[in-house]
Amino acid sequence: MFMTRGRLAALALAVVAAPSPAQNGPDGLAVGRQMLAEDNPGELWVERGQRLFFEKRGPKHASLERCDLGLGAGRVEGVFAQLPRYFADTDKVQDLESRLMTCMVTLQGFTTDEIVRKRFGTLDNDSDMEALVSFIGSKSNGMKMNVPLRHPKEAQAYKAGEYLFHRRSGPLDFSCATCHADEGKRIRLQDLPNMTDPAQVQAVVATGWPAYRGTQATVRTMQHRLYDCNWQMRLPDLGYASAMSIALTSYLNHRGNGGVVQLPGVRR
Amino acid sequence: MKRFQLKLAVAAAALAAVLGCASFPSADETRALGEQMVADAYPGMPAALTARAVQDADQKICSKLGGEKLTSIEAGRIVDAARATMKYPPGGKLAGDWKAGERLVSDGAGLRVREGRVEPVKQNGALCINCHALDPREVNSGNLGPALVGYGAQRGNSDAVVKYTYEKIYNAWAYYPCSNMPRLGAHGFLTPEQIADVVAYLVAPQSPVNRK
Repeated sequence: MFMTRGRLAALALAVVAAPSPAQNGPDGLAVGRQMLAEDNPGELWVERGQRLFFEKRGPKHASLERCDLGLGAGRVEGVFAQLPRYFADTDKVQDLESRLMTCMVTLQGFTTDEIVRKRFGTLDNDSDMEALVSFIGSKSNGMKMNVPLRHPKEAQAYKAGEYLFHRRSGPLDFSCATCHADEGKRIRLQDLPNMTDPAQVQAVVATGWPAYRGTQATVRTMQHRLYDCNWQMRLPDLGYASAMSIALTSYLNHRGNGGVVQLPGVRR
Repeated sequence: MKRFQLKLAVAAAALAAVLGCASFPSADETRALGEQMVADAYPGMPAALTARAVQDADQKICSKLGGEKLTSIEAGRIVDAARATMKYPPGGKLAGDWKAGERLVSDGAGLRVREGRVEPVKQNGALCINCHALDPREVNSGNLGPALVGYGAQRGNSDAVVKYTYEKIYNAWAYYPCSNMPRLGAHGFLTPEQIADVVAYLVAPQSPVNRK
């Protein structure tokens, strides 16, 4: 990687936003995505995330090497493929982001408010969370999603997620299923994954998020994806790492079991 | 007997744990859990905005899990409730200005919330081309709903067609209970006048939807 971020972003936008022949013929957007994936700008976030993980940071001047992401303190290999899962110390089901938040608060002394404020990066301010998630996600590459459903709270999160996926509300009567339960659907030109199709769920959860987003010139995470869907549904700002966001992720990720992880992804 | 059932349940849960699959909560427990999660999902948001996430009775009925069908009693209830919401523009003109409608159909804004504030817009857009093909020369349209290219050319613009079209946009559930289409008029997302303009855009012979 010898390019600067600015140049990368410009290239990414040019490729991702290239005009496509719309309904007919080869999918120009898919071609753009493929080109980007071959030299994924998200690798910059992976490198930064790795540095952040091992760096002594925060008021407690500690690294995240004692952070238990589900497979033992400090272990990052394979953890993404098995999240969300139940953690006894918090007595909660946690996804990668909420678990990292726990570690950053307890081990490093950051405040929850601070982490939430910086959860989504901007062009001026990178998000540490987006970098850490990219690094840790990439450490499951080549492994199969294998999200457990053993603890009663994992079963509760899964069922609540299924319920919430189909729950219509808001001034536009939308649920997740409104857009993500049929084959070959689009909002304008954006393809919508059909989450009732096992292969598509696997692809989304194992290769979807975190992803470098060309239109935003940064990596976005699953929490951001859910936040953005909520926004489009005209609901209020979805609480970061809220139980609802984790339940939806539990439902989707478990159903994506068997999908082979390849992260970070590349998306529009 | 009760004790025996309890023992049986405990044994089943233990067996499930050994087999590696947890026992799922009941439908009622799941609903309670899910609703609590919704109540907690929007910390720091004003009450007027969190109220949007509270379901009305019809949204509840229309939230079936995958594959579950609406009963005929439920469908009837939804249609009746939808009919009761119908309001028309003062003066009763259900097909307005198709040019105003043209601006509305490609406008996807309105009522979005960022950082606890509703985005300021002059008027809400009608959102149409997010889901429907309308003008055959517009490539940037979605397909969640049926293509409506040639809508008026096929159906004409009789009073019956105009009334049906108006009501379908005002409250789609009056004709198709639990349709994916939002109840745009009933929610007040669009005004009756805006809906009449969109109707005109769909049926007017001069509209790009119907031009050959």
